[in-house]
Amino acid sequence: MSAAPQAAACRSVLPDGSLLTVSATRRPRAGRAEVKCSAPDHAVLAARMQEVVRLARHTEARFDSRDQVVVSLDRAPPPGARDWELAVVLADRMVRGLWAPHGPVIANGWSDAWQLGRVDGHAADRAGLPPDVLPHLLLGGAGELAHLGMLSGHPDPGAAVSAARAWFPLHSGGAADALCWVEVSLHPLAPGEAGHADEEQTIAVPGQDAARQAAVRQALAGARHFDGRGQGRWRTTVRFGAPQFQGRSFELALVLADRIARGREFVPRGRLIATGCSQAWHTGQVDTVDGLAPKCALLLREAAPGDRILLPQAWRSGLPEGFGDQLRIVGASLACVERIGVI
Amino acid sequence: MLGLFKRAAPLIDACELGRTAVALPMRAGCAVPPGCPIVIVDAGGGTRRPGAVKRFEARDGDLAWVFHPGPYSVDILPFAQAPELGLRTTFAIEADPAAVHQRFDLYLASEASGRLDLAALAASLQDTLQRELAQGGLELPPCATIEEWNAFRQGLNQLLYMRFGLTVDDCVPVDLGATRDYAAMLAARAAQQAASTAALAPHAATAAAGGAAASSSAASASAFAPAPAYASALAGAALGRAAASARENGAEPTLADARALRRLFLELPCLMCGLRMAALPNCPELFRQQQALLQRLDVLSVGAGAMPSLNLAAPGQPLPMDEQLRRARHSQRAAASLDEAWALLARMKREPEALARHRLAALYDDAERIVANLEADCDGRRRARRNDDKDGKEAEA
Repeated sequence: MSAAPQAAACRSVLPDGSLLTVSATRRPRAGRAEVKCSAPDHAVLAARMQEVVRLARHTEARFDSRDQVVVSLDRAPPPGARDWELAVVLADRMVRGLWAPHGPVIANGWSDAWQLGRVDGHAADRAGLPPDVLPHLLLGGAGELAHLGMLSGHPDPGAAVSAARAWFPLHSGGAADALCWVEVSLHPLAPGEAGHADEEQTIAVPGQDAARQAAVRQALAGARHFDGRGQGRWRTTVRFGAPQFQGRSFELALVLADRIARGREFVPRGRLIATGCSQAWHTGQVDTVDGLAPKCALLLREAAPGDRILLPQAWRSGLPEGFGDQLRIVGASLACVERIGVI
Repeated sequence: MLGLFKRAAPLIDACELGRTAVALPMRAGCAVPPGCPIVIVDAGGGTRRPGAVKRFEARDGDLAWVFHPGPYSVDILPFAQAPELGLRTTFAIEADPAAVHQRFDLYLASEASGRLDLAALAASLQDTLQRELAQGGLELPPCATIEEWNAFRQGLNQLLYMRFGLTVDDCVPVDLGATRDYAAMLAARAAQQAASTAALAPHAATAAAGGAAASSSAASASAFAPAPAYASALAGAALGRAAASARENGAEPTLADARALRRLFLELPCLMCGLRMAALPNCPELFRQQQALLQRLDVLSVGAGAMPSLNLAAPGQPLPMDEQLRRARHSQRAAASLDEAWALLARMKREPEALARHRLAALYDDAERIVANLEADCDGRRRARRNDDKDGKEAEA
């Protein structure tokens, strides 16, 4: 835990449009309570903050009692507002190095079941917020961040809808290179419901053009055919983090997110970051894509502990010197794959 | 007269040994099934195997189990989120009837109460594996290469040997899709959730109406949809129910607490022994660190043997129910730290002899974390009130 920061901050939008700052600091515990919360002139609020943090910590695998985390709000939210809860939980994770976002975060969300990691909803509405807030905004609730595990793409083990995310590198010539996520949500189909419908008809890709929709449907249907047990059981929704991009290198990330969401793949400890496409998903084969050098540079910048990075087998010989070792130092693991599937 | 010629009583359920039961408790005078070693646990928690005997005779205060060495084959899920992907694991138990200080004997002594079923053992294997994977002690990532799989196998062997005393013979990934349907599980979950929200609907409707009324007057900004107020009344009712049910079958937290304390009492000395032998420090700093850890574990071990009774705040003074539940939670968390400690010892064993200094330092750092958690939880278990008021004093200082 020595790599974790001593202090972190996370912000949240208040109903009047101003920003609330949640700051968290870490110090040796010295026999004190593991979490201390303070809110200006508001003991009840502080008690609720402590409860939220303690409940949310139940979802973590690793507990370290050597530190005390002090969480404080810089102003009191109006009575009854609960949208600050997600920001408090995230600040507590950031200060212990469990989650390291790039750039500032503005988080709004509330939950009645933090101990399950569920985020039930948010009160803020995207449309009514100032435009400078939007790029950093993280909202809780269905369709947004519905589960804390979703920060690293993991499905909620208690939900009735299985959703998983994987990331893929998008390169646009340097400065704007970024990771983009793809999310696969699955609703079970009743046994008779699928019937004669084509697998591709059960896959929806809202917000994307017809060509992308066709590519997504084809890739998923092919990969499920390869898997053998994926067909005729699911109604699928695929969403992307960026509305517009070019190319087919998202396919490997998409296919693996689908496998994880269907409960048929090992789950990485952190995020799954993959790039690759295929001419023949029904054979499970992974083909090469372009952009080796910029994508590798991006991956080195973005990799976090626990991340799993998958590249096409054809890239193995061309990887930069010491790429795998550098990733290992960060705590991420790398594999060049020829085929999907277990082992 | 002396009972020398009395016919030995047959062991109950002996046919299930080696199939659905791994170990069965023995009564004095029972016939020992052939090929099954006996483990005797004396009143102080020490274990021994009496060697090959035909009939078991007990001393006062002894508990005894007879176990079948296997092999057993179980399917365990490495990830809770992936129910259609399992690991078919075949394992056996060291069967030498005269062996001493076997980990499996300690497992029986500290965790088995009565009969040990194969299903129960498989559930604890699965729990241990899932936790180790989540903490990063073992890695089983998607599209694992053959080297990664081999490293995982070695780690798994060492983990199950250290934690349970089991020898893994074989472990292969299997597709459980034929027997488990994830889609059907999700559909059942959805139906269950719908049923529970329907049951809660009257409450929710009134709460939402109240919340909407309050927020429409308070929050004039149109950008904000109301969030339901934190349902403290509902939560309070739920807590009350939980406490009431706990009081009804009052044995439950008491029993869990007693089990956890027994584990602490029996396993802490063995953990110290394991830590002394597992990873020899390779520089003076680490040596000092190891000595300090051993000392702290020693203090913990003495403390675990002298824990106050769960239901007494002070001699003759009863403790409120919610504080009792808190104490039981602390002792269970301390027992979970024991699991982490065994997993850490397995990781130390797995590393090659000449360990790089920074790797060993990381392992010792993890050991410090676990010992600190154990200290915090044992302290919480000893305390009669929760540890919140200290903050007030410290704020003035």
